[in-house]
Amino acid sequence: MGELLQASLNWIDPYILQILVNIGIAIILALGLNLITGLTGQLSLGHAAFLSIGAFSSAILTIKLGIPFSLNIVASGLIAACFGVLIGFPTLRLSGDYLAIATLGFAEIIKVVFLNLDITNRALGLSVPLPNTPIPLPIYVWAIAILTIAAMCFIQNSRFGRALQAIREDEIAAEAMGINATRYKIQAFAIGAFFAGVGGAFYAHFIAYINPSDFAFLKSVDILNMVVLGGLGSIPGTVLGASVLTVAPEFLRFMQQYRMLVYGALLVFMMIFRPNGLLGGVSFRRLVWKAMGKLPAGGR
Amino acid sequence: MNLRKSGVFLLVAVLIFLMVAGIGQTKESVVKIGFLGALTGDVAMYGQPTLLGMKMAAEKINKSGGVNQAKIVIVEADNRGDKQEAASIVQKFISRDKVAAIVGDPTTGITKVAAPICERNRVVLLSAGATGTGVVELGKYIFRDTLLDTVAVPALVDYFTKNLGYKKVAVITSDNNDYSVGLTQVFKNAVKGKSLEIITEEKVKDGDKDFSAQITNIKAKNPDIIFFSGYYTEGALIMKEARKQGLKICLFGGDGLYSPTLISLGGAAIEGSMVYVGFSPEQPTPETAKFIQEFKAQNKGQVPGLFETQGYDAVMILAEAMKRAKSNVPTKFRNEVARTKNFKGVSGTITFQANQEPVKSPVYLLEVKNGQYALKAKVPVSIK
Amino acid sequence: MFWQQLINGLTLGFTYALIALGYTMVYGIIQLINFAHGEIFMMGAFFALLLVTVFQLNIFVAMILAMAFCMLLGVIIEFVAYRPLRKSGRLSALISAIGVSIFLSTLALLLFGADAKGFPDNSFPVTQFKIGSATVSSLQLLIFGVSSFLMLALEFIVHKTKLGKAMRATSQDYNTAALMGINVNWIISFTFALGSSLAAAGGVLVGLYFNAVNWNMGLMAGLKAFAAAVLGGIGSIPGAMLGGVFLGVAEVFGVAAGFSSFRDAIAFAILVLVLFIKPTGFFGLKIQKKV
Repeated sequence: MGELLQASLNWIDPYILQILVNIGIAIILALGLNLITGLTGQLSLGHAAFLSIGAFSSAILTIKLGIPFSLNIVASGLIAACFGVLIGFPTLRLSGDYLAIATLGFAEIIKVVFLNLDITNRALGLSVPLPNTPIPLPIYVWAIAILTIAAMCFIQNSRFGRALQAIREDEIAAEAMGINATRYKIQAFAIGAFFAGVGGAFYAHFIAYINPSDFAFLKSVDILNMVVLGGLGSIPGTVLGASVLTVAPEFLRFMQQYRMLVYGALLVFMMIFRPNGLLGGVSFRRLVWKAMGKLPAGGR
Repeated sequence: MNLRKSGVFLLVAVLIFLMVAGIGQTKESVVKIGFLGALTGDVAMYGQPTLLGMKMAAEKINKSGGVNQAKIVIVEADNRGDKQEAASIVQKFISRDKVAAIVGDPTTGITKVAAPICERNRVVLLSAGATGTGVVELGKYIFRDTLLDTVAVPALVDYFTKNLGYKKVAVITSDNNDYSVGLTQVFKNAVKGKSLEIITEEKVKDGDKDFSAQITNIKAKNPDIIFFSGYYTEGALIMKEARKQGLKICLFGGDGLYSPTLISLGGAAIEGSMVYVGFSPEQPTPETAKFIQEFKAQNKGQVPGLFETQGYDAVMILAEAMKRAKSNVPTKFRNEVARTKNFKGVSGTITFQANQEPVKSPVYLLEVKNGQYALKAKVPVSIK
Repeated sequence: MFWQQLINGLTLGFTYALIALGYTMVYGIIQLINFAHGEIFMMGAFFALLLVTVFQLNIFVAMILAMAFCMLLGVIIEFVAYRPLRKSGRLSALISAIGVSIFLSTLALLLFGADAKGFPDNSFPVTQFKIGSATVSSLQLLIFGVSSFLMLALEFIVHKTKLGKAMRATSQDYNTAALMGINVNWIISFTFALGSSLAAAGGVLVGLYFNAVNWNMGLMAGLKAFAAAVLGGIGSIPGAMLGGVFLGVAEVFGVAAGFSSFRDAIAFAILVLVLFIKPTGFFGLKIQKKV
């Protein structure tokens, strides 16, 4: 089956394929952050730390133990989730911008620690072998990305997801309704970290070489941009934001060194003209209902 | 009638287009070389000069008729120092631009990202700057034209202990710089069993500006010299701080320190400090002198640094190999690249060994004197 | 050696404090983490460098002009990138700030090149003074002097002038302040101008002291200063000052004790620890959540 899938991929331009994989990874990462920042309303400026933990766990597990790739992904995600809980416990008592700076601080600390560990090979980084899996990586990434989308849709509409949204809207009111805000926040943090870990594992094997410095503050900002640009709390929005921001550098390439200048200006203009993000406040279900001509009264 | 008119017009237009395109194809045969490096971002200071050198080489080759009747075209893209983007760029170079070879990246990390992709697609990758370990091992198509520290450092340690009588050295490493971490390891291996003793070790970080605490620590230990394995910006600032605190000793380090900026930034503080390089514009061979002159003329009197020369040489090595192989197809000229021997480049004389690793001999030890690099010694290295 | 390291730490700390002040003021008034603040600091340094090297101006004149230039820059940034977003979510403003930050740093890269540039050696006469076993340079004294003066001046403006009263009113309640006849837009612009000019002064002093100005110096300095502002209690002027000095000294002593490879971790670990013990920083006021 593996050969068949590989053969089907050979029809696609490798360059396009490369970008598609980048988009897939970005979707997994951004959806994880969307759960934390978009749905629960907890601003995290350190998402790259979980990405980093996932990437290094996966690389080390492969190099030292050689366990199968599928197991590896789950393990990396779980390790990142453990760190999420560990970091979430103390920090999530903080609110708003204090939480933001605390997560930023943790991300910096993790980066510096990785730069000083022998197992991560310090600043020299690790060369990661290709995954030993029959399924080609691009298909694998997209399968997981679609699974992530499905999982997020499920979470958002579940009891758990509604509790998270209640916390986002008004934490005190939510607590008054009997929602244990701290517990829910930590759970959301752990799930977000899990997906970041999974994304990190794919990143490591796809890029084939990782280095602690790759996962600096600006990487966290990149992921946050995807979520906010797409529309906070909106799953289609986040998917769109991740896709647009992954492809944007490629499309802006003709501007050469002026590209980042334009990118910065674009961020500002996008925010001014669509302050809630591209798809912020757009409900797809509502659009579908409307198209079918049976908009439920008052429902969303 | 109107429709027919426009139809005729369209037909003519298509014909003209085809003719022009056809002419273009037969006459303008090109060989594309990709530039992999950062033009913006934190490592732009290595990417920008590399590209400058490459363009100069391409221009020169094209003026004298190109290679195998084909003009060299440098395809450039900015990877911002971002690995994910670099991977996309390499893939684009190969599948869209159909490059014959890629020069870059000046940093080891991104070269390691690019290497597996180039190897899979059988495109020559010639890194103009990667000095870390485990680069050329990544494949048959992977080369580099840098001075290898594993070759140069032992020879230098001998020179320091025998000719300059140094006994105690303080080592400073830039922690988030893979080149620096690697070079420190090489240096530590080289001093093993020699009379040069590492008495203290300090860590800095690329981008740091404040080195006061480290210098105060080093001052208390009183070494004969400081070995700094990082890049020139931090090197200049370290010496500034040392002079500020009244520390009299000098600094030495690898070719990562070699840049006109080291002197312009360090000023009087950097006087007496030493760097080792594979080439020395102060000891010019005929090629180097000409290159420096041409470069200055094209760049408003700016003196070329290491990355310019390495970028220039990289394109020249590729062009030579293509000429010898009489082919611009990577699978054909790859072997000729590997056979490069005593190539008289502007960054030094380059020979590729059987394991694809380059050797540049001799090593020039330069000392900063009166705001200029002056030759201190030519240290011969032994090729195993 | 202890005294020498203390002087090293204080110098670093005072520069952090100067940048942190701008963060704190802007945050105090519109609750925005102004990520572009570090870039203003960098721009100030470059502008002064330009004046000193190209126009051969005296360093003090250059510093004052750079402060004026950054005042303008800060006001423009607020007008273009933040004012339209004042009614939207705070995260949108944050992303806008990040956009400005990317824009400015890339602009500096294009204008001034990737390599670090230094002030000419003769731009400020450096003499060393011996105090016991430690040495302190005239430049360090200048940093102590200028920073202390600017901070006192700021404290005076905020607490003793009518303008300062209006600023404090605006920071407490934006809408009520507007109802009381305060021109809120003007006050916010003024706050940005003041904060940005302090950042510029910090930039010039840092550029002079470390003798290097480069396009990406704003990011880390900005993050550390932000940490300092939070450490001191965000919104508090003495807090920002104390936070900056504390971080600078702690960092230098950490490095001196042999943890040089954990330098950035030290600053942030202290921050995180302090936040656990006192979530509002040293001088931050406990904000009662309204139900």
